[in-house]
Amino acid sequence: MRVRRFIERPRVFALLLIAPALIFFFVWNIIPVLTLIGVSFYNYSMVTGMPPRYIGLGNYEDIVYSFRLWESFGRTLSWVVVTVGIETVLGIAIGILFWGSVRLPGRRLALTLLFTPMLMTPLAAGIFFRLMYEPSIGIINYVTRWAGLGTFSFLSDRSLAFAAVVFVDVWMWTPFMVLITLAALGSVPKAELEAAEVDRLPWWRRLVTVVLPHAKFILMIGILLRTIESFKTMDLVFNMTGGGPGTTTELVALTLWRRAFEAFNLGWSSALAFILLLMAIAFTSIFLFVLNLRRRQQEREASA
Amino acid sequence: MSTRTSLWTWSRLSSRLALCLLLGAVMALSTSVAQEAHPLEGESIDMTILGIGGWVPSSLGAEMANDLFKPFALEEYGYDVTFTFDAAPFAALFQRAAASLATRSNEYNIIISDSQWLGALSEPGWIVNVDEIIEEHPELDIEWYSEIVGVGYQEYPMYSGIRWGFPQAGDVVVMFVRRDMLHDEAERAAFLEEHGRELPYDYEDFLEMSYGEFEDIAAFFTRPDEGLYGHAFQYSREYDFLSMWMYPFMFSLGGDIGDFEDENRVYGILNSEVNARAMEINRAWQQYMPPGAINFGIAEIIDLFTAGQVFSAQQWAAVGPAMIPEDLPEEFDVMVVPPPGLIQDDGSFNRLYNVGGQPWVINAFNTPEQMRVAIDFMRWWYLPETQMEYARRGGSPSDAATLNHPDYEDMKPWNRAFKFMLQDDNARDFYREPTYAQLLSTQQEAWHAFASGEIDDAMNTLEWIACEQQKILFDSGASEIRPPAECRQVRLR
Repeated sequence: MRVRRFIERPRVFALLLIAPALIFFFVWNIIPVLTLIGVSFYNYSMVTGMPPRYIGLGNYEDIVYSFRLWESFGRTLSWVVVTVGIETVLGIAIGILFWGSVRLPGRRLALTLLFTPMLMTPLAAGIFFRLMYEPSIGIINYVTRWAGLGTFSFLSDRSLAFAAVVFVDVWMWTPFMVLITLAALGSVPKAELEAAEVDRLPWWRRLVTVVLPHAKFILMIGILLRTIESFKTMDLVFNMTGGGPGTTTELVALTLWRRAFEAFNLGWSSALAFILLLMAIAFTSIFLFVLNLRRRQQEREASA
Repeated sequence: MSTRTSLWTWSRLSSRLALCLLLGAVMALSTSVAQEAHPLEGESIDMTILGIGGWVPSSLGAEMANDLFKPFALEEYGYDVTFTFDAAPFAALFQRAAASLATRSNEYNIIISDSQWLGALSEPGWIVNVDEIIEEHPELDIEWYSEIVGVGYQEYPMYSGIRWGFPQAGDVVVMFVRRDMLHDEAERAAFLEEHGRELPYDYEDFLEMSYGEFEDIAAFFTRPDEGLYGHAFQYSREYDFLSMWMYPFMFSLGGDIGDFEDENRVYGILNSEVNARAMEINRAWQQYMPPGAINFGIAEIIDLFTAGQVFSAQQWAAVGPAMIPEDLPEEFDVMVVPPPGLIQDDGSFNRLYNVGGQPWVINAFNTPEQMRVAIDFMRWWYLPETQMEYARRGGSPSDAATLNHPDYEDMKPWNRAFKFMLQDDNARDFYREPTYAQLLSTQQEAWHAFASGEIDDAMNTLEWIACEQQKILFDSGASEIRPPAECRQVRLR
């Protein structure tokens, strides 16, 4: 009886309800992150069988002085800006087109086909496009040769490789932004849209004054998710170019993978993984802060 | 008639005598076997071999284990063994093996390892030191075809005489060329007119061929308009692919990659002018290759050659069955020859390539029963008839008896070149420190950046690799030599 009463206390009951989630979070998130931080202070190779050797901040110092790694960070930043930028612009444009064409015949089929690339695993998409880009047997080069443009080594030419991989990422993830845009546009109140129509506002003013203020939050969530995903891109690049030619397409997640599972240097890669985690947290916090700026401002104005 | 009768009687008598002798021998053998019954007699044992996925010599070893060793063990030793073959690609195999061995697991009883992993596998005590096994079973002290076979596939440290494995598949680089194109009268006449000398005709013509001479031939057959190119070898960043074709240029030109037998010194040896020159020569060969050469690995070379897109290609001899498959177009007449060499500064011709291939290593955490089967299997594997059968199936043995057998060279088209390239003058192996993966990853990154044209300064590339590798060796305690202070300023660009 006492136990039951204890359990039924509001605070205890709430704690019990969230306990499974907390345990899961602790076991699968907190413990691995703490282990990761611990390993980052050691010179530790996964495969030599030698005991880990404590080296303090040695791995972090190495990372600071690793010019190649900073180049890789720079490349990743370009990658994020270019891919997320193109996907956002294209996604919003295509989303608006679909939004405004409710009665278009075959709309549902077109939308289903449009979303297909997003459902593919990056590994499959990588293999698919690697074959299409192939200089001798690839269909893209077949077309360029047929058009008299010659043969292009899309994935081996330093001037083309980055763009070729960006194209595949855009092909895969623009549908995601279309989906987000459609969801965002769906959140715009019909009454306001009808009022704008009655007021005969031009389309761009309707977009800026009615649609965007309502759709902004969902769009920002979409951009945030894509930014974080884009920052972590590894499998697509690994499969298409392996980071090459040279390091032309080597993103920071691939560098991390190489150090961890090619060179088996767990200490160094744990330090880098921890830095990346901090960067992702900082980035998300800034993003959310900016996203909520206007709301906070409105709240301040309202309370004043 | 009487003569025929007496002959018949004599033949009957002699066949009975022979039968009696045979029965006697069988009885004597069974008595001796009964006296020394195998400790595993009557038992059923499961064994797992871990090998390289999609790699003929690996799968052949496992295939022969079930096809031939299983009945052999049942008959000779009275136990029933079943082998399972687990495989992973080159780059992932070590991770798979190490992750299992680190937990002291006997999941993989016999592993087809790379020779470069001997240090990493033996230092923590994960694999068996086979010296003790050889002492107990002297028939396993095999006479190899050349010194590099024993040193390369068995020893860690190299030239220490301490053995950790048995050669599973010997391997060397050979060159596959289209003999039908070389023998084409029109091509011969055109080449003669262009260069004032004949195209090579047969195997012997390639024995002293330098890259300089071969370049004319590769350039002659490079005809992008016809979709034909002169040559192909590997530049891929995957695993050790590019290093395996960068080293031969350095070795053949007289360069070296470090002192790994004494003080583990890289800085001051790898970063030499001669190695920088070798890198330039290596990179320049892409002009005679199809587009996308920077990503060519083993599979791409097979595809290019079998599709008739290249006149010649360098490849591992072990890949011979895939380079000359049975369904190759009829007009393809392929000859396998030694790859070109280089002329050193003193004018001498030198051809020094890497050995490939893999050793068998035995898991140190095997149960006594699994250990016994592993040893029985090794004793069977090196029986002359097993090695001959391995060669017949397209495998690459490396024992002297098989390679010197009069039938060996004609068994497969690549056997002659394989045997030639496995000689000590033509082949050498490279480091096998426990930090092998780190050392390799560093040079693969830098050489790939150079080969792709991302970096133009060969000497600076070597400086960077030497600094990084010296630091890896020093940090791991393998070397007492610190990388010099100026290494802080060396950047790969």
